[in-house]
Amino acid sequence: MPNFRQDLKGRFAALGLVVLLVLGALFVRLWSMQVLSGDDYAALADNNRVREISVDAPRGRILDRNGVPLVTNRPTLAVSVPASAKDDDELLMRLSTVLAMPVEEIRERVSSVKEEALRPRVVMIDTPSEVVAFLAEHEAEFPGVEVQVLAVREYPQGSLAAHVLGYTGEVSEDQLAEEEFQGYALGDQVGKTGAERQFESVLQGDKGYKRIEVDATGRPRKDIEQVDPNPGRDIMLTLDVNVQRVAEQALASALVEAHRDEFPNARAGAAVALDVETGEVLAMASLPTYDPKVFLGGISTAQWEKLNAKESEFPLNNRAIMALYPPASTFKAFTGLAGLTHGVTGEWSGYYCPGKWTEMGEQWPKYCWKRTGHRGISFRQGIVDSCDTVFYEIGYEFYKQKDEKLQKYASQWGYGSRLGIDLPGEVAGRMPDARWKAEFNADYPEYIRWLPGDTVNLSIGQGDVLATPLQVASTYAGIANGGRVVRPHVLKEVLDSKGEAVKSVETEVAFTPQVSAEHLAIMRRALEDVVSEGTAKDAFRGFGAKVAGKTGTAEVAKKDDYAWFTAYAPADEPRYAVAVLIEQGGHGGSIAGPAAREILAALLGLPVEHVTATDASR
Amino acid sequence: MVRNEQSRVARWANMPLLSVVALLVLYGSVMVQSATSGMGSGDALFRRHLIGLAIGLVPLAAAWLIDYRGFKGWLGPLVLLNALLIISPRIPGLGDTAKGATSWLQVGGFRLFQPSEPAKLVTILIMAIVIAQFKGRLDSPRDVAKVMGFLALPLGLILLQPDLGTGLVFVAITLGMLLIGGMQPRWFLVIALVGVIGIGVVLQADLLETYQKNRLLVFVDPSLDPKGAGYNLAQSKIAIGSGGLKGQGLGSGTQGNLNFLPERHTDFIFSVVGEELGFAGAVVLLGLYLVLLITALEIAAQSHDLFGSLIAAGLISMWTFQILENVGMSVGLMPITGIPLPFMSFGSSFMVTNLAGVGMLLSVWSRRKGA
Repeated sequence: MPNFRQDLKGRFAALGLVVLLVLGALFVRLWSMQVLSGDDYAALADNNRVREISVDAPRGRILDRNGVPLVTNRPTLAVSVPASAKDDDELLMRLSTVLAMPVEEIRERVSSVKEEALRPRVVMIDTPSEVVAFLAEHEAEFPGVEVQVLAVREYPQGSLAAHVLGYTGEVSEDQLAEEEFQGYALGDQVGKTGAERQFESVLQGDKGYKRIEVDATGRPRKDIEQVDPNPGRDIMLTLDVNVQRVAEQALASALVEAHRDEFPNARAGAAVALDVETGEVLAMASLPTYDPKVFLGGISTAQWEKLNAKESEFPLNNRAIMALYPPASTFKAFTGLAGLTHGVTGEWSGYYCPGKWTEMGEQWPKYCWKRTGHRGISFRQGIVDSCDTVFYEIGYEFYKQKDEKLQKYASQWGYGSRLGIDLPGEVAGRMPDARWKAEFNADYPEYIRWLPGDTVNLSIGQGDVLATPLQVASTYAGIANGGRVVRPHVLKEVLDSKGEAVKSVETEVAFTPQVSAEHLAIMRRALEDVVSEGTAKDAFRGFGAKVAGKTGTAEVAKKDDYAWFTAYAPADEPRYAVAVLIEQGGHGGSIAGPAAREILAALLGLPVEHVTATDASR
Repeated sequence: MVRNEQSRVARWANMPLLSVVALLVLYGSVMVQSATSGMGSGDALFRRHLIGLAIGLVPLAAAWLIDYRGFKGWLGPLVLLNALLIISPRIPGLGDTAKGATSWLQVGGFRLFQPSEPAKLVTILIMAIVIAQFKGRLDSPRDVAKVMGFLALPLGLILLQPDLGTGLVFVAITLGMLLIGGMQPRWFLVIALVGVIGIGVVLQADLLETYQKNRLLVFVDPSLDPKGAGYNLAQSKIAIGSGGLKGQGLGSGTQGNLNFLPERHTDFIFSVVGEELGFAGAVVLLGLYLVLLITALEIAAQSHDLFGSLIAAGLISMWTFQILENVGMSVGLMPITGIPLPFMSFGSSFMVTNLAGVGMLLSVWSRRKGA
């Protein structure tokens, strides 16, 4: 027994060694974690407790040329629901009762679009205060449902100028992949169309952020750091609220007038008013229109489908720049200028209009709109009375001269090309020539050859030529300002926080056609006579300023005639140009003319009065 | 007479042991205070911790005064007591279940203590009595089987609770005592082999509770479940690692104060040490444990008899394993089991048991050769 200690000496040492090994292993591990990797773990700890919340920058406002607000911002109480709620029927039922919304609409809003799965979806904005109170009191029955203050767009003028202004919506995943949207996050509101889209980078501003410390349950404990957002800049547009309102009302009246005139299918139209010197757009209207408010808080699929349905005539489209129409008789001014420039005609060149024109052969007759014929008629009077035969002759002469001089000349004015207006979606139009026709009909070999009739049709703005109302207005502004086609624009100034302009848009010339002052003067005299004694006489009777313009009545397959009127005023010292188009509205002089009259009156500060005109010409 | 008493106490007391235990308990109290300060009932918890400490002084003194050699003849009663302690939570009306384990003794809804804690000390006594009979020569299969038979009863009952962690403590205690008790090295290999096979069988036979299996799987790959079973481990590692060299400062650990760290005053108290006092604080703690264990080893070596040495060895093994398991799980070296950190963690039963163990060491020391 006394010797047991000697016997077990080695065993005590072994136990001591185990102790040392255990403590040594822990020591090494702690050294590695705390001393060698301490910074990595510290970063993980910060990642645990620090949350960064982005603070949206207030979006810039949009003002008219006189500073009248067109789009501003307002706070709203929004109800958001977690995406997971879409499978929680009981929660959706309760929400449906409280929000007075159908279950399916809530479900659709929650599950719509392919967004980040975890992000809560806004299902309602402008939530009534009693609903907010109810949700707050019954928090436990609505897990994940939150009421938050959101800033949304406010439209003090209602749907006025909706197409120019555009609407906003959540940035799409596709957009996030683009370079322009670097720094945006899902859920950010961005401009989707119109000026909101065009000037997104100016309006958006820079987000701020707030860093807060949260506990393990995500509850905020304290603020660490805050960087205030940098608000977006206000922009001033060239639009004039008063002119815009008159333009929209004039289009609406024109539709009513067309219905009374037995054109029941008239449901759409467009109007543009430009400053002829600067290209500033004072009004741009398109009917039917839409209410940009429906996009606030996210549009429902049902509403979206309705806005994109054929039956509703595509109200989201800005017809002034996105729709293409045969320019019809408004194009005669350019056929005429081409004829004058190339020596094919002169102011007093004489023509004979039999009503039925058979120069291309008896088997290919063409008719003047006046079937009884204008008989002996000068080039100038051909403009005034819009005699088709005069222009058939000019067009046929161009065909015979080859070389597509008419198309080349019209292209110099910008037909077939975009003007480059500062709005998204502008289309180029079409100036048909032999090459185009061959390509267009490549699958129909019998139609690929350019025929005399093609040039003859083009000469009266029919056939395959297509233009936007903006192109028609801009080219007439070009006639008015001495032969320059100025690039139209809607942005006037970008403002700083004090309302001072930090950027003003300069006038740019888009096209410089070949035209002599003498030929321009001939055309301007003829266009003045159109209004004083010709096809637009009735629409402008008793008008307080001298106006020059041109009517047009476009034939469109399987549709009623489209009514055109384009003009500039005052005729002697032109300041403004307008173009009005009414789809299936009938005659230019009686339907589009009075609408243009009202817009010109608003532009010139004359009394705006609605007149009823009769005219059965082109 | 007074003089005589004083000198007797001085000879009986092992000052290094008492000092290091006092320092550990003080260190632990500071950390428990820091860990509980952010909790709703933090003050009440800290008070309970101090009360546990105070209560623990009674068994410490009692164990010190009682001559450990008197237990030698009590094998039968001790085995009975051990069985009773371990079975008691299973008796209807007495047991209470927490985290899947029925390990609490309660009366009338009031939790008294965890009987498995004193059972550790009783097991040490039983093993010491049994192993001491072989007088330092333990080699025949029959002898080894006899020792293992005495382990089987408490171990089996503990695993039924089920409490894997405490079961492993029993195994560690026995292995350490067998080492001092003179078992031949080859038997350790045999036991290790049996153990590995046993674990394999347990895993295959679906004997583990789901939460236990999850803990083991997550130990192997914490990224399996970062918000569930892996969460504790991940948060503990982040806390300790982010402490760096000098720590965030006492009471300033964000992992603890913002509730990322679970069970931070009990099982994960070491993570609070690591976060708030850094590597420096952790090394000081390991240093204190080193002093404690070396002192205990010295007491074992100085023991009057093999029985005393075995008791000391049992305590050394118990503490060493608990430190390894608790700190090891906090740093991701060991799977997560509910083993607290000796003298540091909140928990009265545990604290009282450990202080009683210190009393047993002092009892051995007081009766050493030449005392």
